[in-house]
Amino acid sequence: MRSEPIDPSGLEWSRVSPKYLRVRLLGWLLGSLVWLVVASVPLVLRLTGVWESFPPEWVAWALPALVLVSAVWRGLLLPRQVAAIGYAERDDDLLVRQGVFFQRTMVVPYGRMQYVDIAVGPLQRAFGICTLKLHTASPATNALIPGLPTEEGTRLREQLSARGESRLAGL
Amino acid sequence: MTTAPGTGGEDPGLPLHGAVEAKDPDAGVPWQRVHFISPLVRGWIALVAILYFVGRDWFEGLFDAGSRARGPLPEGVGLLLAGGVVLGVVLLIAAGFFVAWYFTRYQVTAEHVRVHSGVIFRQQRQARLDRVQAIDIVQPLLARIFGLAELKFEVADAGESAVRLAFLKLDDATRLRATILARAAGVETDPEHPEDIVEAPEREVVALRPGRVIGAAVLSGATVVLLVAAIAVFVLGVVLGTAIVATSFIPILIGVGGAYWSALGTGYNFRAATSPDGIRMRYGLLDTRAQTVPPGRVQALSIVQSPLWRLKGWYRVSVNVAGYGAAASSEGQARATLLPVGTREEVLQILALVLPDPGTERPVELFSAGMTGRDGYEGFVTTPRRARWLAPLAWRRNGFAVTSTALLMRSGVLWRQLVVVPHERTQSLSIEQGPLDRRFRVSTLQFQTTPGPVSPRVHQTDSDAAWDLFHGQAARAAEARRRSAPEQWMKPLVVRQPAAPGTAPMPAGLPADAVPTTGTLSATDTLPTTDALPATGERPAQPGVREIMPEVPSYVPAPPVGGPADAPR
Repeated sequence: MRSEPIDPSGLEWSRVSPKYLRVRLLGWLLGSLVWLVVASVPLVLRLTGVWESFPPEWVAWALPALVLVSAVWRGLLLPRQVAAIGYAERDDDLLVRQGVFFQRTMVVPYGRMQYVDIAVGPLQRAFGICTLKLHTASPATNALIPGLPTEEGTRLREQLSARGESRLAGL
Repeated sequence: MTTAPGTGGEDPGLPLHGAVEAKDPDAGVPWQRVHFISPLVRGWIALVAILYFVGRDWFEGLFDAGSRARGPLPEGVGLLLAGGVVLGVVLLIAAGFFVAWYFTRYQVTAEHVRVHSGVIFRQQRQARLDRVQAIDIVQPLLARIFGLAELKFEVADAGESAVRLAFLKLDDATRLRATILARAAGVETDPEHPEDIVEAPEREVVALRPGRVIGAAVLSGATVVLLVAAIAVFVLGVVLGTAIVATSFIPILIGVGGAYWSALGTGYNFRAATSPDGIRMRYGLLDTRAQTVPPGRVQALSIVQSPLWRLKGWYRVSVNVAGYGAAASSEGQARATLLPVGTREEVLQILALVLPDPGTERPVELFSAGMTGRDGYEGFVTTPRRARWLAPLAWRRNGFAVTSTALLMRSGVLWRQLVVVPHERTQSLSIEQGPLDRRFRVSTLQFQTTPGPVSPRVHQTDSDAAWDLFHGQAARAAEARRRSAPEQWMKPLVVRQPAAPGTAPMPAGLPADAVPTTGTLSATDTLPTTDALPATGERPAQPGVREIMPEVPSYVPAPPVGGPADAPR
């Protein structure tokens, strides 16, 4: 994994599955298409002459163009965003990192974990990956690891539960 | 019936008895109902509403009887019919409340509190006593008149109360609270008389006079709003040349008045006390409330000073307690307030209750620097100078300091804030860096804690220092959890010998009654020396005695060694 300035040194980060990039790209493609179609409605109406003069022509053009640009930007960013997701298991805690521009690394002690979720959507199931989420007593703990291969997700869940149990502390 | 001391008669009976107990140890514990007039106290609003609407009609009719033609019915029949209908409705509602009351039963066993309720949709709820996060005894005005009280038992679900018993006689409620707390603390009770649990003694540490509470309300943000609104209305009135805008003042006045009222109602007669059961707070003007937060239940604490309070040197102390949740209502805010308005000394006293061992030899100096100080005095690490444009006002104040037991986070220039998180209460933490932060090589640390008014955050600190804190804090939290007090705060511990085998775990030479009898309130006036003791050595070998009041922990200023005190105020 590429080392970012925010990375602590001496940590072995595990990456998420490359399949997750494909899932994200598919989702991005679908989402972008929907937005593009919606944003193109005024332009189509304008060009077919249904709407006479209400949206100025430049607005009608600018709207889909803006959507297209932002979609391309997000698409270009996606591989880096996926590559930035990582997790590291340490003796007492789990580290989760994410983000390219706005980077965040979160540490969740095993003894603080209340439960572990695994969520699989239809698209994720087709690609054989899952999303793992850790819950502590704080609802603000937003530690999720998307794009884990299913067997890795199951292993991690079992391991986290076991470690959590052995290190369980009160609130 | 053999009353002879011979064992022969009892021996065969005992194992059988034991076997039955093992099958259902709680079978003998009686089920109880709340006080029988509580449906009336709970449903009084409905009754008052009915009586009001019906009674007003009837009352008006009484005076207008002569002037109003009431239709064909004779006067007497109409009144009788109306009276019958009203009586029927009232009886129906009363019956509903009665049935609900009849089917609500509770039981407090050695380990659980259980509540069964509901008529058609039955609910059976069970909460473990040692999971208690807080216990409240609430007395709304009407319940106070009847001498009743509501008991609220909170566990860490961040929402509604786990168990609400409304209403009990005040004596019963306090006795039940004592029972629950004693069992939650893990105190061994006399098996012969398990009901024989007395209220733990308490010692008052802070009491607020009404004058202070009123002054705090007057100097609060509501006054600022009122002043701004008054000026705006006046200016508008002058500009528009009409006094009509003055009427728009009325809703503002109502809102501000409400804020004053709730500040007064929740701060009036505020008393904080310490007891072996934990910190106890009582307050209230019309509705009164007594809260108990057992030791080790405070997840995070904040000390805030609003700009106008600076004139008087007042602070407000709020806490996150897992059971209280993040209620935004004034009641929820009041519950999470450990001290509505207090001076620096009172705040330090409250801090000493929450954090008996501050983990530093200069607690007074350190916390004072956190409350009012700037720059790097007393070990605070502030935003580096290169990043001052990211926080042009607050950069000298933003900072953090670490002691061996807690992390202090300082922020805010106008609204000064100091957040204290004990190491063993750290849930999870994250380090964040945006593009601008990266440019100035600073990062922000965010601590996740249970829902509540306090959100611990270290703003814009040097990236390397942030990473040190991030990793160090993870390690310190793990270490602190390992040696933290048990959930049952008076449970006798298996005493590990600190260093030399054979030495008594309690410091010899102290008279027995001077030794603090609870594990958590261990650091007393001899603060600097307790640091040297390992955590296991501080604990008493014997089970805690709830009946003896331990010494009130307090912070002592460090002796002026090594030159003059270098923290400017």
